[in-house]
Amino acid sequence: MNVKREDRVGIAVFLTPVLVLFTLFFIFPIIYLIIVSFVEWSGLDTPAFVGFQNYLRIFNDKVFIRSISNNLIWALCAGFIQVPLAVLAALMLSYRPRGWKIFRTVYFFPKVISAIALATLWSAVYNAQYGLLNGLLRVIGLGHLQTNWLGTLKTAFPSVLIYWLFYIGYYMIIVLADIQGIPQDYYEAAEIDGAGRIRQSLNITLPLAKTSIVTCILLAMIDGLRQFAEVYILTNGGPANRTSVMVLYLYKEMQNYSYGTSSAAAVVLIAIGTVVILTIKNTLGRENL
Amino acid sequence: MLNLVKWAVLLLLFVYAVFPVLWLAVASLKTNGELMANPFSLPEIWQFQNYKKALTVSGIARLMLNSVIISSLATLLNILIASMGAYTLSRFKFRGNQFLKVLFSSGILIPLNALMIPYFVLVNSIGLYNTMGGLILVYTAIGIPISTFIIMGFMASVPDELEEAAIIDGACFYKRFFTIVFPLSRAGVVTAGTFQFLTCWNEFVYANLLTSSQAVRTVQLGIRYFTNQFATDYVSMYAAIIISILPSILAYVLFQNQIIAGLTSGAVKG
Repeated sequence: MNVKREDRVGIAVFLTPVLVLFTLFFIFPIIYLIIVSFVEWSGLDTPAFVGFQNYLRIFNDKVFIRSISNNLIWALCAGFIQVPLAVLAALMLSYRPRGWKIFRTVYFFPKVISAIALATLWSAVYNAQYGLLNGLLRVIGLGHLQTNWLGTLKTAFPSVLIYWLFYIGYYMIIVLADIQGIPQDYYEAAEIDGAGRIRQSLNITLPLAKTSIVTCILLAMIDGLRQFAEVYILTNGGPANRTSVMVLYLYKEMQNYSYGTSSAAAVVLIAIGTVVILTIKNTLGRENL
Repeated sequence: MLNLVKWAVLLLLFVYAVFPVLWLAVASLKTNGELMANPFSLPEIWQFQNYKKALTVSGIARLMLNSVIISSLATLLNILIASMGAYTLSRFKFRGNQFLKVLFSSGILIPLNALMIPYFVLVNSIGLYNTMGGLILVYTAIGIPISTFIIMGFMASVPDELEEAAIIDGACFYKRFFTIVFPLSRAGVVTAGTFQFLTCWNEFVYANLLTSSQAVRTVQLGIRYFTNQFATDYVSMYAAIIISILPSILAYVLFQNQIIAGLTSGAVKG
């Protein structure tokens, strides 16, 4: 609607709270982080300008480099393993096999449980002595593969990452809804042309559901970059910082009263996030989020 | 063959989504001895006293109360503020409208966990550190982009004619919002509200950062201390975890249609 004169005050009144909150909690924090990333500050004393020192320090810190690479692995696995798996499940359910609604409900179920509760649950699954995983290995006769999953250098990071990749419900539901919105006519025409289900999926469904798939890739990759609770609960970054991620790193720096390096790490995280978003948008599709 | 693969994949994902939780639920009813001996056995006698112990040791009732207060208030505030913003942005043409829409939705993709220092400094400087008010404020704010986004989608679909008729009847801006557009966007408001509530209920990072005393601790923060509180009494700790996720499961069972409808409405897809 066009704005009537007498509505102007109302519009201003209604927009003010949103604008204030958004400015305070989204715009101001980013500016603040950029400024603090150039000072040395414990959060208590007077900040001193140090130029790019903080950035030099974190990029010379092996733990931070390890964190970046862990996050990138995480984001790539999320975008290109988790989401394709979700798309596959959505394709299967789009033909409405028996009980498809139950599958949909159950797949989404882990998403309503908190990351903390899930991580605590999985620490029980991975537990060396009485955990579900080692117990399962014993039962199926692969007992020699038993290990301390979260405490061993080789298995720690994969263990933290993998359990989470198979919770696909959120993305599955978004893609499934998009697929179910595709008009049936397309498929009828394809059937007359003799195209089987797999050809139909590849040539009709996937291209038409592209917008939602790309949105899911974006959301999943950002999710991979901002992991914290899982790692914090399962390993707290250990063993030997093998499972550290960027948010855990900046949290620990903050707890060590090194606000400058913590902010620099946060700025790097936001920058990487922005690059990832722009790359995905430019290569896969512009019309998303 | 293809059919077989399909069912295998679907069922594996199904089992994966529920089995760990079910395993934990069964384990929470065993004795510690039974758990050590065989992680898969059913309990000889169902140990319901594990739950009693879980309640006493963890003090989870109080944590739940805190979580309910914080999540409810943050949801109410968030939905009210987001609806007001969504109303102006989705139904009026004015300069900067499009810019604000894009700006707000870009907030959805900001990795909020990176903003710990600014949020800490901000909440501290207004004297809300270690208070429920601080968490309510932060939770209200961080849900603004997604809530506004969802509600905008629903409000845009309310026909203009309804509002125009109301204008002729002399209804002012506020009256049109409260009696026409807001009630007709109920589905969107409930969806956004459900999401917001679950987000608040499950939030950990800022609950951990912005509080220090037991009096304002939320459930998620409580779970973190379970390993200390219960030490080697694993089965009682499992019982406490089950108790802590029951409200989420309950909310999901009650509101699953809204949640799925919200995701499928096209609102989240952009």
